[in-house]
Amino acid sequence: MKRLAHATQRAGTFLFDGRTVPFHLGDTPAAALHAQAIRTLARSRKFHRPRGLSGSFVAGHLCGVDGSPHVRLDRLAAAQGMRVTTENVWPCGAFDLLGSARLLPRRWLRAGFEHSPLMPSGTARFEPWERFMRFMAGEAPVHAGNRRAIPQGRRMTSDVVVVGGGPAGREAANAAAAQGRSVALVTRGHVAGAKAAAWGAVLPALHDGVTVLTAHDACGLYDRGRHLLCAPHDAASSATIVAAGEVILATGRRSAPPLVAGADLPGVMDAETALTLAHRHAVAPGERVAVVGNGMEDTLAARLERLGVTVVACQPVERLERIVGWSAVSGIDAGGHIACDCVVHAGPWRSDRRLAFMAGADGDLRVLGGPLPAMVRLAGAAQEADEPVGHGAALDRRALACPCMDVTVDELLDLIAAGETHVEVLKRLTGCGMGPCQGIPCWDNLAHIVAHATGREPSGIGHPTYRPPGAGLTLAQAAGLQDLVPLS
Amino acid sequence: MSSLPSRATTVIVGGGIQGLMLAFCLAERGSTDTVVLDAGYWQGGASGRNGTMVRGGFASQEWTRFFGRSLELWVGLSKRLGENVMFTRRGYAILAESEAMDGLLDTMTATHRLCGVQSRRLAASQIADILPHADHTRIRGALYFDQGGIAPHHAVMKGLRKACIARGVRLFYDTPVTGFEKSNGRMAAVLCGETRIEADVTVICCGAQNTRVAALAGLELNGEAHRIEALATEPMRPVIGPGIALPERFTYLHQTARGEIVGGSEVPGETPRESLANTVPIMAAFARHLVEMFPCLADLRILRHWTGMLHVTSDHAPMMGPHPDLADLWVSGGWMYGIAGAPAAGDMLAQAIVTGVIDARMAPFAVDRFRRGALIVEGSTVNV
Repeated sequence: MKRLAHATQRAGTFLFDGRTVPFHLGDTPAAALHAQAIRTLARSRKFHRPRGLSGSFVAGHLCGVDGSPHVRLDRLAAAQGMRVTTENVWPCGAFDLLGSARLLPRRWLRAGFEHSPLMPSGTARFEPWERFMRFMAGEAPVHAGNRRAIPQGRRMTSDVVVVGGGPAGREAANAAAAQGRSVALVTRGHVAGAKAAAWGAVLPALHDGVTVLTAHDACGLYDRGRHLLCAPHDAASSATIVAAGEVILATGRRSAPPLVAGADLPGVMDAETALTLAHRHAVAPGERVAVVGNGMEDTLAARLERLGVTVVACQPVERLERIVGWSAVSGIDAGGHIACDCVVHAGPWRSDRRLAFMAGADGDLRVLGGPLPAMVRLAGAAQEADEPVGHGAALDRRALACPCMDVTVDELLDLIAAGETHVEVLKRLTGCGMGPCQGIPCWDNLAHIVAHATGREPSGIGHPTYRPPGAGLTLAQAAGLQDLVPLS
Repeated sequence: MSSLPSRATTVIVGGGIQGLMLAFCLAERGSTDTVVLDAGYWQGGASGRNGTMVRGGFASQEWTRFFGRSLELWVGLSKRLGENVMFTRRGYAILAESEAMDGLLDTMTATHRLCGVQSRRLAASQIADILPHADHTRIRGALYFDQGGIAPHHAVMKGLRKACIARGVRLFYDTPVTGFEKSNGRMAAVLCGETRIEADVTVICCGAQNTRVAALAGLELNGEAHRIEALATEPMRPVIGPGIALPERFTYLHQTARGEIVGGSEVPGETPRESLANTVPIMAAFARHLVEMFPCLADLRILRHWTGMLHVTSDHAPMMGPHPDLADLWVSGGWMYGIAGAPAAGDMLAQAIVTGVIDARMAPFAVDRFRRGALIVEGSTVNV
């Protein structure tokens, strides 16, 4: 994909499966690979379908980097000589024989990870089969020499902690700081407000008194809000526990991928990912981009064009019938066929409710979210109502509800027809949402599918338990947290 | 879903692995008129939240005889159910880091020989072969069960549920028991709200809820609810073959068939409470134990962390058999190694209920042993 006019200069090269890839100043490996039109970064769990930079399905962003497994390529600075390798391939990324698994009938690879219909039952024949399956399912190889000293975690106290560096997060942080309260602000971005900047918004400066944790995932909220767990994207850095008197969740909203066939293909991405590529990295998301959305599509298309991106179609998402392609997007069917190599979705918009859930979550038979504790509140777009996922009168049975774990709509519908309508049970029968995204966006899809098939309201279906830390924290970082929080 | 019946030969309160295994074993013996009631969702309790590890040998003869039998029954279970429970004899290693623990492992081996359970001490070179990625400088000795292994709970529970339904057992989840009816010194019926289910035999086997449910019948049951936390990492190609117990660290772990490392630690000193909410210190403790023992896992990310609850008795051993104070009421509780013990518990309880014969290997775990002062001394369990 072409570099846009505002590109920075070339800064060096790294290796991807042995191939030399140039990168520019400020690039992530994901952006540099995208610029070279290398869009398959990973393979899915069972079908070994290609996965790439989507912003929606985390498994598509994961590669081995210098021996460390499952590193997110969209959250890492590219560095000279870095060795990036594809996982879940055999014998190698350039010649992956496992990729032929996608030619198998999908029904054969149902039932979560155990691939039941293919599996001999009974112990004697099962054990060799299990060895084979463990190899197939395990994804990342192990590097025995890969050791790391435990980074000693730190504990921060502040009057207020704000999660999210966008407009609402800044406003809340600045207001609290202006009152003389100590404020910590946690953002996933490399700088606070990166997403808003990519949209072209001009944000007010942050008050000098605000301590900012950039490139950190706020990945767990414990003890009814008293302890916020923040994990840095850099595995060498220590995790932080923020003990604050008030927690403000300004986590905004994100676009949910369309629930149509092909939405898992490399080249399909959310608005934030496309804008980050185009704005921050000056890489075109595609040579011919189709934009779909829930009212925001025109604004997004205009913004992408202003950044130098060629937009060939701009449509309401409900017109999207399917996304076509084999190894990456080659077109969409939306009323008629449109040839394109990238689909960007801007809506339906939904908030990430994980931290709010964890703040109130408890139970003895099932973990359910309760009302938010008094010390936790939502701010900005995170408070707005979620827009429904899925569109059209019928469900697309070929679509993937959970692309990381290869759970199809078809498989879920058959289970629902057999009487399984409890989301916790469906999760356990299929593995839906048990990959690195830990339920977002797959459990929104799951609730929609159950609601659609049973005629119930999606809001009444609920979702399985959002469990911390959702692939945000490494074992070494977690080990460094010992003694920072008292045993309850 | 069909509605609750007004009578059944057997009503089992608790649809976890103990309840379903017992229902299946009763059906095998021809007693299929069974109703299973569970207050939560299928796999929502400890049977869906555990470490899934199976071994036959412990430090005491009582445990070893019982769990040794259970291990034998694990081997043929898939065939009996007609469903693959995915039990795999990948081995089970107990690692000692101190001289005292190493000595205990010697004692345990002798007990195992006495009880006919296969186990062996590993030489340093064998430890290196079996656990190539462990930090061998920390390991002083190991006890290894070649026949031990992993029984993934999702597969076991799925197989049991299908097999029960196929044999006519009626399962009701999200159906809490609200009371019991006693008459003439026996348990006569189970109440679920407005519904009364008359039963010849009632069994309480609902894990951490055992004492609370028994209290509904006005009965006291030894033990209390106990929290355990566990976590799963992102998947890796095979790093760890067998199930592993690190008794000095109160830690257990294994690698699942899909590559995740799953395990947990206990941290002494927690205030007992009934809650499935997770805590930071227990996650941190397990992560430290895991990284210290397997340094190459340091950069692996934690996918999810969860809590489960157990019923723990005062001698940490399970309780199985008739309740001493009420006829026609049976209990299967106190399970900390419930996955390992379920096949024997189901089989022996079904035999006792149908024929009245209590297996000698189950007898020491009688419900009334606490009042008789016949506690079981077992020194090798990971759980505190």
